[in-house]
Amino acid sequence: MPPRTCALCDDARAILKRPKTGQQICKECFFYVFETEVHNTITEARLFKRGDRVAIGASGGKDSTVLAHVMKTLNERYDYGLELFLLSIDEGITGYRDDSLETVKRNQQQYDMPLKILSYDELYGWTMDAIVSQVGKKNNCTFCGVFRRQALDRGAAILNVDHIVTGHNADDIAETVLMNIMRGDIARLGRCTSICTQGEDTIKRSKPFKYAYEKEIVMYAYFKKLDYFSTECIYSPDAYRGHARAFLKDLEAARPSAIIDIIHSGEAFEIKEDIKATQKLQQTCKRCGYMSSNELCKACTLLEGLERGMAQAAVTDRARKKMDAEGPAPENLRRIPLFKLPANLQANSNVDTGVR
Amino acid sequence: MSCGNPVADADALMQRRKKYDKTKNCVKCKVAQGNLVIRHAVYCKECFLHLVVHKFRRALEPTVNPKPDGPRKTTLKPAGNLLVGFSGGLGSSVLLDLVHRCYIALDKSTMPTDGGSHHPRHERVWTRVIVCYVEVCDAFPGMKDRTEEIAKHMQRYEGLDFVSLRIQDAFDPSWWERMGGKPFTSELGVTLADEGLFLQALSSPSSDPLASLRTYLSSLPTPTAITTSVQTLTRLLLLHTALQTGSSHLVLGTSLTSLAVSLISGVAQGAGFNIREETQEEWVPEPEVSTSSADPSENAAGAKEEKQKSRKGKRTVRVVRPLRDVGMKECAAWAWWSGVPVIGKEKWGWAGAKPGIGTLTKDFIVGLEKDYPSTVSTIVRTCGKLAPKGDVSGSCILCGRPAQRGVQEWKTRISIHSRPPTQHPTAPNGSNGSAVETSPACAADPDSLRPSLTPYLCYACHTTLTSKSARPVPSPWPAVARASTVTLPVWAEARLSSAKGDGESTEHVHGEILQTRRVGQEEMKGIVNEFLLDD
Amino acid sequence: MSTLAVKVEFGGGLELLFSNERSHRVTIPALVPASPSTDDDAPKKPADLTYLIHWLKDNLLKERAELFVENGTVRPGILVLVNDADWELEGEGEYQLKEGDEIVFISTLHGG
Repeated sequence: MPPRTCALCDDARAILKRPKTGQQICKECFFYVFETEVHNTITEARLFKRGDRVAIGASGGKDSTVLAHVMKTLNERYDYGLELFLLSIDEGITGYRDDSLETVKRNQQQYDMPLKILSYDELYGWTMDAIVSQVGKKNNCTFCGVFRRQALDRGAAILNVDHIVTGHNADDIAETVLMNIMRGDIARLGRCTSICTQGEDTIKRSKPFKYAYEKEIVMYAYFKKLDYFSTECIYSPDAYRGHARAFLKDLEAARPSAIIDIIHSGEAFEIKEDIKATQKLQQTCKRCGYMSSNELCKACTLLEGLERGMAQAAVTDRARKKMDAEGPAPENLRRIPLFKLPANLQANSNVDTGVR
Repeated sequence: MSCGNPVADADALMQRRKKYDKTKNCVKCKVAQGNLVIRHAVYCKECFLHLVVHKFRRALEPTVNPKPDGPRKTTLKPAGNLLVGFSGGLGSSVLLDLVHRCYIALDKSTMPTDGGSHHPRHERVWTRVIVCYVEVCDAFPGMKDRTEEIAKHMQRYEGLDFVSLRIQDAFDPSWWERMGGKPFTSELGVTLADEGLFLQALSSPSSDPLASLRTYLSSLPTPTAITTSVQTLTRLLLLHTALQTGSSHLVLGTSLTSLAVSLISGVAQGAGFNIREETQEEWVPEPEVSTSSADPSENAAGAKEEKQKSRKGKRTVRVVRPLRDVGMKECAAWAWWSGVPVIGKEKWGWAGAKPGIGTLTKDFIVGLEKDYPSTVSTIVRTCGKLAPKGDVSGSCILCGRPAQRGVQEWKTRISIHSRPPTQHPTAPNGSNGSAVETSPACAADPDSLRPSLTPYLCYACHTTLTSKSARPVPSPWPAVARASTVTLPVWAEARLSSAKGDGESTEHVHGEILQTRRVGQEEMKGIVNEFLLDD
Repeated sequence: MSTLAVKVEFGGGLELLFSNERSHRVTIPALVPASPSTDDDAPKKPADLTYLIHWLKDNLLKERAELFVENGTVRPGILVLVNDADWELEGEGEYQLKEGDEIVFISTLHGG
């Protein structure tokens, strides 16, 4: 078979078949479409203002490694005028993060971006290894997920940034749409396709790779020779999500556009008005000041459970009631330091950005 | 960036519960030994049979009157007849049996016990009940024709009219005219092999509906597209039959399980905007079908009723799924214990075809239901809390459902399919350096001047026609020559031909075409200008 | 060797896999190997529903076994009744068969 020419530039030899569209294209055109689609995502959602300080949530894995590269490239190419930082969370899983944190440190030098590493141990007094030794391998993902989210915000506050970008890709978002429908999590379903989320007074968070296929992120890293660590967490995550991911992969194999089509579906509906009205209002956690839908935020509840040796408390309602029945939290309980917004955000925290 | 490791022990998140709660006695009468477990609750046979009738009436009856609801005991007075969509499958077999018991045989055991014999529900609700079967065997190779078997099955029930259609009727102009559709000459076809979906004159208009059907199906890019298209064709055939038989209601045998499957499968095919219609919809034909040619077999009263309605203006058909609270397992148990034979539906498939999104979703949901029995009702409940977001831009020419505005712009932005010839990949984007205001330069190419089917399509149907598989897909009809230009279903052809001829009634369609053209010309001009400057 | 006679019925289209016969009378051993084994001296257990499902697959099923069994039990979407009661009330595959039991398998997968 004669070499095919690129379907986009009609000039160079096609060397890859684009997972997203099935088009056969050349390397340069692949870089162009991949980067331009991310740029389109950023401009369409008006994610940034000139002069914004933006932290890239960097894990050393493929998504965030490619994100750091693409953010730097686009910031220079289109002169976004952003100040970029790297922010890493060390969960304290022996043998899991050690190598990938090395990748992040290398990125710090390559891209000349300041790096902040914040550990669970430093923030919560618990490493994931210690948590797993208490709660076992079931449900530990709940802890890790809640702790990571809050840790990123706290790290961002330390770096005094306005905005965190994370490497969530299209596959992650499509999977979350399906999961939220199947679990009946209507509140999350309403916001999981938003490119940018911001509570009343938290740091903006967005996902520039919202429409980028996982396969293309890997392909980009491969052709740009970006090295990253592909380490899978040694503590198994939840099975239900595993079912959803396997199903999504089957759908993608049947029709590659399925991932983007699911995201489109997620953007094409919203929660009915009368149901929105019944949703819980956001408040601040009375113990640590972080945003919360209850008196205590999820992280504080989890931490209290760990400290009191009743780790199931934040996982099931029944266990929570049992812990409450045993009396209030002891005075000497370990607490998460009080959450404070960066100074520049405190001033305008009530300004509606119009982005939800 | 999820840490997703799919290899995990099966019980990590959603804890599997015991299959039934507490005792083996019926939760309803508390006395009898249980016969069936429905989502952890135990029912005896008698209470279960009542429960199904109750769920059926509860889902259907509030939708019977044109203005839905009001107090429960008002008389049910539908605006027209009842059309039952029948496939031979489990759900529609149970549905037909329930419709017959409750509204034709007026079976005492199905009546509400409260309110005595003068309860309004003890009267006949529907003047006429029609059953419509669409035989799809000609869409797939080697499939058995069940028309006769189904017709024989209908003899079990008295007081029903039976209409039997074939899937290729969707490509038969004479069927369209019998349905009261405006006669048209199909002149335009669509280039299905090209992502642009250009409309162009048919070289030799086909007069054989079967050939048109097979050419259409063979030109679709994926197995998903083929099965979804057959479902859509069936739905539209039923809707037009409802209109022609003076039916205000079309009921379908979609069970709770199949509803969950079609919701997830719809989401996976990009039909999130139409998630409401998956459960219940009000369908208005477009272009407005003239209702003057009423079914000659219809009685005089019916015809008169029909005329009155056409004077009142737009006719709508309300699509209801009365088994939407009854799971597949409950349907099977009802059919077994009530002695309803299930003829069954054949598997849709052909040699070498990989399962499509619909089949994958069904396998996934049915598998999940076994271990997590409440999943299906959670899915249906969650989707019931959603409403479409954004503006409507007319109805889709193929599926007849509301189309969301702006989907093509969305698609272009998210997946770049062509490259603007003037832009170098590494060149900075001009002097405007702000990431906030720049918008991507659109590819200007001469193709955007050609009339296309695209502006008439909803997101999901556009995806059905254009989205490809990673690997080539074997056609169900390899012997059928792939035509460069393919005939569309009759309702689409009729709308295209009226869009060409008759200006007034199809204003928005014209708007869509003109809009595309205008953008294209501006871009074109921009390129020409630059070219001239260089020269 | 003692045996058990049970009545087996198929519905909802499953009968198509069993020579299109809805009703069957089958006789199976009362005691079966506790684990799959060809050794005659292997430990035995009373025949249960799981054993019957495998027996039906090996002895009565005419075509497309994948539509009847999956992962060592009936495929998801098949309703099983033991003497007119849901098998979920009777311990599913672990139910010990008795002489004269009526077992019904109904497919729910024949669409809407």
